[in-house]
Amino acid sequence: MTRRKLDEVDKAIVARLSRDARVSNGQIAGELGVTEGTVRARVKRMEEEKLIRITAVTNIDRFRDAALAYIWIEVERSDQTRGVARALAEITELGFVGVMLGRSDILAITMVRNTEHLAEFLHQRINVIAGVRRTESTLGVNFVKHDYRMARIVS
Amino acid sequence: MNDLAASTVPALIELDDTDYAIIELLRADGRMPYRAIARELGVTEATVRARVRRLEESNTMRVVAVTDIEAAGYDMLLAIGVQVENRSPEAVARDLAAIPEVFSVNVVVGTHDVEILVVAEDQTALDELISQQLAGTPGVRRLTPALALDVLKNQPDWVPLHDPA
Repeated sequence: MTRRKLDEVDKAIVARLSRDARVSNGQIAGELGVTEGTVRARVKRMEEEKLIRITAVTNIDRFRDAALAYIWIEVERSDQTRGVARALAEITELGFVGVMLGRSDILAITMVRNTEHLAEFLHQRINVIAGVRRTESTLGVNFVKHDYRMARIVS
Repeated sequence: MNDLAASTVPALIELDDTDYAIIELLRADGRMPYRAIARELGVTEATVRARVRRLEESNTMRVVAVTDIEAAGYDMLLAIGVQVENRSPEAVARDLAAIPEVFSVNVVVGTHDVEILVVAEDQTALDELISQQLAGTPGVRRLTPALALDVLKNQPDWVPLHDPA
């Protein structure tokens, strides 16, 4: 857990890219008063070091039948926590997987259509993982905010 | 941090296979040139340019830089259940959403009324965030936090693209 922290120039570039990443390096350079080469090199380095990721995000509001499900997972034995978490991280539908201290062992977050869909997802994808003892889920009724500019960049 | 204001509510647009294919390619590489996308999909560059503009203008998709939490200077991430009293969970959720360190806010049904995800630079900042800002928000009765020891994944594909504040 020792990643380089962004410096001021990096942060200024990222601030511009987090609004619209299709902007050209030349335009960013002009706005910040640095050379285009600096912007290109900085962006490349930040991407290579997995400090940032430039990607398309799509709007959940377009999908009316979607609710966020918080799934708290308890493992059978504490030494299984890592393995279960790694297995969960492989599941494409899960947007968040964290090993937690307190409340439960692991938190996983996904988007489901309704309660039936959640039950099916738990049954077919989560409960089948070796080491999962029990799960407790909470279904969201109103997704008020998710700042997509904050993430854990792993791949 | 809440500079993403969508001043108007754009109409929903119908997406076809080309739109979905463009989104898929931009998800893998947000800075892929229009020309390369066009070549990949067997359409003209003008088509790609127009489709991307339409996806952006209808607030369906945005291409953005996502920053790693740790690189941004936040070493701690917590999931906090919030119990509300004497106020609607929606109103409390809106107030919580205005706090930059609170990066995800959901009104839920169950033991808690609102679930939030927060980040903090260190333990001192976390103490200030929880005991002052969160606990001090009108309507907040109890906070039940869990600290993330390790975040293996935090890359949701689907997020609300409206201004939370």
